[in-house]
Amino acid sequence: MNLWLIPIFPLAGFLINGFFGRRMSRTLINLVAVGSVALSFAWVVKTLLGLAPLETKYIEHYFTWIQSGALQIGADFAVDRLTAVMLMVVTGVGLLIHIYSIGYMEHEGGYYRFFAYLNLFMFFMLVLVLAQNYLVLFVGWEGVGLCSYLLIGFYFLEQYATTAGNKAFIVNRIGDFGFSLAMFMIFRQFGSLDFTKVFDGAKSMPSEAGYGTLTVITLLLLVGATGKSAQIPLYVWLPDAMAGPTPVSALIHAATMVTAGVYMTARSAVLFTHAPISMDFVAIIGLATAVVAATIGLAQTDIKKVFAYSTVSQLGYMFLGLGVGAFSAGVFHLMTHAFFKALLFLGAGAVIHGLHGEQDLRQMGGLFKHMRITAITLLCASFAISGFPFTSGFFSKDAILVAAYERAPWMYWVGVITAGMTAFYVFRAWFLAFTGDYRGHAHPHESPLVMTGPLMLLAALSLFGGFIDIPRWLEPMFAEKPENQTLAWVSAGVGVAGILLAYVFYVAKRGLADSFAKAMNGFYTLVLNKYYVDEIYGALVVRPLVAISRVVLWRGLDAGLIDGTVNGVGARARGVGGILRLLQSGNIRTYAAWVVLGSILVLIAIGFVGGAR
Amino acid sequence: MTLLDAVIFLPLVAFFFILLIPKDNLDSIRRFSLVASTAVFLASLGLIAPYWFANPGKFVFETDLPWINSPAIRYHVAIDGISLWLVLLTTLLTPLCVLVSWRSVQKRVKEFFAFLLLLEFGLIGVFCALDFFLFYVFWEVSLVPMYFLIGIWGHERRIYAAVKFFLYTFAASMLMLVAIIYIYNQAGTFDYSRILAGLQNGSIAPTYQEQLLLFLAFFIAFAVKVPIFPLHTWLPDAHVEAPTAGSVMLASVMLKMGTYGLLRFCVPMFPAAARNCSGWIVALAIIGIIYGALVAMVQPNMKKLVAYSSVSHLGFVVLGIFSFTQQGFDGAVYQMLNHGVSTGALFLIVGFLYDRRHSLEISAYGGVATPAPAIATVFMITMLASMGLPMLNGFVSEFLVLQGTALVDFRWAVFAALGSILAACYMLWLYQRVFFGKASAEVSGLKDLLPREYVISIPLIILMVWMGTFPQSFIPSISTSTAVILGPVDAKRDVHVRNALPVKPAAPGASLAKEIADAR
Amino acid sequence: MPVNFAPSATDYLRFLPEIIMIVVGTLIMVLEPLLGSNKRSAFSSLTLLGFIAALVAAVAANNDPGASFSNMLIVDGFATFFRVLVIGVGILTVLSSSQYLRREHADAAEYYALLLFSVSGQCVMATANELIMIFIGLEISSIATYILAGYLRDDKRNNEAALKYFLLGSFATAFLLYGIAWIYGTAGSTNLEDIRHFLIAGSGSGRSLVLAGTAAALMFVGFAFKVSAAPFQIWAPDVYQGAPAPVTLFMSAGPKAAAFAVFIRVFTTAFGSIETRWEPFVWSSALLTMVIGNFAALTQTNIKRMLAYSSIAHAGYVMVAVAAHSQIGVAAAMFYLAAYAFMNIGAFAVVTHFSRQGEKFVNIEDLSGLGWKQPGTAALFSIFLLSLVGIPLTGGFFGKFYIFKAALDANLRWLSILGLLNSAVAAYYYLRVIVVMYMQEPTDSTVTLEPLSPGIRTTLYAAALGTLILGIFPSLLLNFATRSSVLVK
Repeated sequence: MNLWLIPIFPLAGFLINGFFGRRMSRTLINLVAVGSVALSFAWVVKTLLGLAPLETKYIEHYFTWIQSGALQIGADFAVDRLTAVMLMVVTGVGLLIHIYSIGYMEHEGGYYRFFAYLNLFMFFMLVLVLAQNYLVLFVGWEGVGLCSYLLIGFYFLEQYATTAGNKAFIVNRIGDFGFSLAMFMIFRQFGSLDFTKVFDGAKSMPSEAGYGTLTVITLLLLVGATGKSAQIPLYVWLPDAMAGPTPVSALIHAATMVTAGVYMTARSAVLFTHAPISMDFVAIIGLATAVVAATIGLAQTDIKKVFAYSTVSQLGYMFLGLGVGAFSAGVFHLMTHAFFKALLFLGAGAVIHGLHGEQDLRQMGGLFKHMRITAITLLCASFAISGFPFTSGFFSKDAILVAAYERAPWMYWVGVITAGMTAFYVFRAWFLAFTGDYRGHAHPHESPLVMTGPLMLLAALSLFGGFIDIPRWLEPMFAEKPENQTLAWVSAGVGVAGILLAYVFYVAKRGLADSFAKAMNGFYTLVLNKYYVDEIYGALVVRPLVAISRVVLWRGLDAGLIDGTVNGVGARARGVGGILRLLQSGNIRTYAAWVVLGSILVLIAIGFVGGAR
Repeated sequence: MTLLDAVIFLPLVAFFFILLIPKDNLDSIRRFSLVASTAVFLASLGLIAPYWFANPGKFVFETDLPWINSPAIRYHVAIDGISLWLVLLTTLLTPLCVLVSWRSVQKRVKEFFAFLLLLEFGLIGVFCALDFFLFYVFWEVSLVPMYFLIGIWGHERRIYAAVKFFLYTFAASMLMLVAIIYIYNQAGTFDYSRILAGLQNGSIAPTYQEQLLLFLAFFIAFAVKVPIFPLHTWLPDAHVEAPTAGSVMLASVMLKMGTYGLLRFCVPMFPAAARNCSGWIVALAIIGIIYGALVAMVQPNMKKLVAYSSVSHLGFVVLGIFSFTQQGFDGAVYQMLNHGVSTGALFLIVGFLYDRRHSLEISAYGGVATPAPAIATVFMITMLASMGLPMLNGFVSEFLVLQGTALVDFRWAVFAALGSILAACYMLWLYQRVFFGKASAEVSGLKDLLPREYVISIPLIILMVWMGTFPQSFIPSISTSTAVILGPVDAKRDVHVRNALPVKPAAPGASLAKEIADAR
Repeated sequence: MPVNFAPSATDYLRFLPEIIMIVVGTLIMVLEPLLGSNKRSAFSSLTLLGFIAALVAAVAANNDPGASFSNMLIVDGFATFFRVLVIGVGILTVLSSSQYLRREHADAAEYYALLLFSVSGQCVMATANELIMIFIGLEISSIATYILAGYLRDDKRNNEAALKYFLLGSFATAFLLYGIAWIYGTAGSTNLEDIRHFLIAGSGSGRSLVLAGTAAALMFVGFAFKVSAAPFQIWAPDVYQGAPAPVTLFMSAGPKAAAFAVFIRVFTTAFGSIETRWEPFVWSSALLTMVIGNFAALTQTNIKRMLAYSSIAHAGYVMVAVAAHSQIGVAAAMFYLAAYAFMNIGAFAVVTHFSRQGEKFVNIEDLSGLGWKQPGTAALFSIFLLSLVGIPLTGGFFGKFYIFKAALDANLRWLSILGLLNSAVAAYYYLRVIVVMYMQEPTDSTVTLEPLSPGIRTTLYAAALGTLILGIFPSLLLNFATRSSVLVK
């Protein structure tokens, strides 16, 4: 089946654009960039049709990557139903976003650079989902992190952009730290990193024996996941990541990369299910993230920031799903989220594009008449994310919430309230942007077809994507969770309530919002400043570390103590020399005295005392 | 007279040739040294052959001739899978150093290139010598040209740095000399293989006390070269003051003399002592990894930053060696090569920048990516390589080392792995401050890579990708040789053994502590 | 044994080198008034011829070794080794002196005559098999050297040096003589073999042991003074600094080597059986010598004085070999003295060349930039310095290596470790000279430097060649040394 072709196309695109892009025409660049992704999409479709119905896993081994002693890592790719879903999402949505970017980036410098990075990202993301062992997965894992760093810092003249890039990379490194430790532990335990071997080993483990190690392993994996998928406590990088161009936010920081953690966890389902404690951790972290991010989202005024926090929150949902054992639901939500969140960002991008870079909701308003398609498509996405009945979000989110109820009702209720908040802030954004009268100074205009086309496609997917029954498709891998209509309708109702509330606040009774904000000022400022998490991290970790390294370790220990000692020895030696010099008075009588003294010494020593005898 | 002898002595011959060229004839001096060093490199490529086709675990290209009859000192050289790649590293980097010094060295050109080739001679010899006396000779011989390179062509505080470098290493190597003589008096030979055999079959039987002292004597000598915390303070000074070529040879090859010595001599000859000291040494290695990274993070000077990062990277090598696992050993050797390539490249690029801006201070730069995108790209790839990004060389070796360590004691791996986070911190921060942002007036005028500099960078870049993507073209030959050394000292915690054991319920810490306890 | 007082032809043959030198020396004295001042250069060539002839004779004498003059002198490998060595030193001294003397307008005959006498005295020391002969040889050598030290009689420093050397020297020789008397009183003989046998036989009685020990002690004082070993090194710095450069060159190599020859011969042959009494002391003296030499040298600014301290330190290394008190120890000492002669003569030859009229430039700083003004000279100087440091492929390194090998053989572990760490200290002040030569910009002291004179050039080449050959192919000399290091049959 030549799975390797799937990632190779984008890689080729990257190499061509990367090396020769500077001397290539834009059309050619577009052709290479979009073409390569289109090819790999086509190849994915072909492969999946060829492999359907894909009851069992299909594996391809290419060459031994690393072999040392008992450690053997193959460069292996594999496809099963989970991978299939990911492949479709990544290449499909990826393709749309590539096309969209042609329009969005047309006025930007570093055009070829942008598409080269984008292709490179596709390559790594595909490696990630195709991997058949943890190390190859880790290749993609780190690779997408790199591309995210490069694209966040795309506008490298801007301090904030590059800083955001560094932040993203370093925070992800902290996650990868956990991931790699998990790999070491897995190898210790199972003598391999190959998925099949590891999972068989885990299955065969006597449960009471396995728990200890498996819990450690899965918790370490979770650290990795929180880094990549922006969960508490490592979510801080994602909002800043919005410094990158909007298509990047859509592709990497909404649709695909950030869901890698979800994918990896679902992939390791066997390990997690054998470690109940870790499962609870996953669920609770997910839930907490969902709530916290949602509350922050309530107060943001930058349209991209709003959607960024909603992404964090939605990822929290997915983890909640995974944590309560509804892996299929988690993956289902991953897919639908890819549709409507990509759409939200691309739509926001269209707005920003139409307003020549304006991102502040307070500078928008009444854009509906200027950009109808954008407005309508965005509306679809907003309905979907709010879990409006029969939109994609409705199915996936409720699958998660129902499963959560099975695990613990309070989780369900918290989730439901969060759903309400989600609906509220998304529509808040929509109303602020498109209703009322225009508050800005730019000349709004609709975006070209190359941008609106993808929007419309994604809108369709957001509305009807829910009818793709992922849970059933994944049934052979993960146990199906029971349906519960009433619960589903409750949450949907809360969603609608959220929408209505937003309508009241921002359309019917304007100013109500502000007075409301004043009323509960403390909470408002708190969420407006994102609970001061960045400040706390800065004060507790970053600044102390730098200060200690500079003052204590470098100036104090290195230059001061160690080097001081070394040079001190030298000085001491010269000191001794100085003393010896004093003997050389140059005065002959003293010399004679020395000779006599010495002689007496020798006489006593040799003559009378004698040696050993 | 084997190919190896040719590779060893060609640089020496070239050295004498250069002395004959009239000193004002700059270009012919440059050209000749380039041709000579390239010839050496091409010749050295032939050394791969046996490992390519057969991959023997033993020494090849052996030459064993009497040199001094009493005491019996022999010219005994050969290479195995470990030395092979280190020799190639040396021969590869020398022509690159010639190129990078092409224009940047303007005064005393003749002497400069002469010393560079003499240095190559000494370094190659160190990695091939199988006679302790010969090894010591090469060890010291390589010291002198480096001393001159730093002292004559260095920057402001060059003399201080040069003398410090010399005395530091010389004093330490004195201990090694004592140890070597002591062994000779017991064994009656300087021959490595015979001494090793004797020590293993007990025909040379120093008491444990003696073994420990001998081990420490060697260890200290090597530790200074590596350098292992806290014996590292000569390194930053030497690097900052040295000319680009000097820094490259120093970081890429000379430091490896230390780790090579640890692996070739310390561990196999005194396994018991090595095993018993490993706890302390590993501790030092881990301190070095974290400490080096932290200190690197706050350096205002590019070369100092890279120098401290070397302390951190070399910590991984030591860690790998003293984990006594196959993965650890292979990783350690591979890390030596990777560090050689990527840190060498880092110093070369810093050299490019210095040639243009005449400053090593980070604050003097900023926004370089705008006028010089090619430099930015090359530096980016190199930086990622030394940060250990997958599909680039650094990743494979760090993974192997950490995996090997984790097999012995998971807690070690936890601490060591912190290094990779910090690596990202200092590297990215450096990159941001040097290449990103708006270019200042002085910076915006910088020229991008010159053809000569492309010739220098591209091979290294290719090598980084190759070594990261197809490590199996190197590791098998390394493995077969390290396996030989590993045999007697094996941590016996390799996985096939572990799987034989019943799976342990308890958390890693406790059970392993016990394992180590009864391993000792 | 029946003693026949009528010397035979072989006796004279074995004594030929000394005879030649004495004759040539006297001849020069006689000729001087006859020759006009324009023929001065003839003397140096004549001296050279004399030395070369003596050299040949010395080598030839080794073909039938054995005792001569009723066992007062003995020609064996050991003796020949040192004879050749000191004569060689003499030759190099002559080569590096002539230009210096012309420069100081002191190109007189007696200089060469004294040189010949001094060397002949050292040859006697090397061959002496009997305490009186040793004493005579020592005196011939010393007195000549005293005068040479003060050779430029108008130069204050010269006179002071000579006076110090003379007073302290005779002071120490008195000890030696007293020791000889004492041992004669005890053992009833001055022949080394007889003393040895007496001590082995009479070692039972503690009294004679104390007497012998005391004698050994007294003689140790004398020898230690001559080799400038602690605690009797005190004179060396002043004298070396004060004496004319070529004389310092000579003193630091020839007399020292000869003194070590007798030192070793006496203590291994005569006092071998009571080694446990003197070994610990030689041990500590060696250490003290190394430490004082090296550490004091660290702070010196005058290169002659620095080299003086360095020569003290090197005496310390040889003492280590003596302390080992074994055959390989002796061999090591012999080898080291040869290597040391080469590198040290080389170093002092450079100083002689550089110091200029009235020894204006004798500070280390004056050498700055020499590496770029006279690359050849500087390169050679660097070789000597690196050899003094003990960098492989030089005689200095191999000598040191072999000495410490001997020491470790004799289980002198701590002495070896401390000694080698000492040489790390030494590296500092030798390197400083290199730093000045290569890493500092030229000053007028180097700019005004005239090219090498043929004599000094020859010396430098010879010394460098010797240093490198001894470093790369030590066997050439080492085998002979090892063979002839058997003193006690």
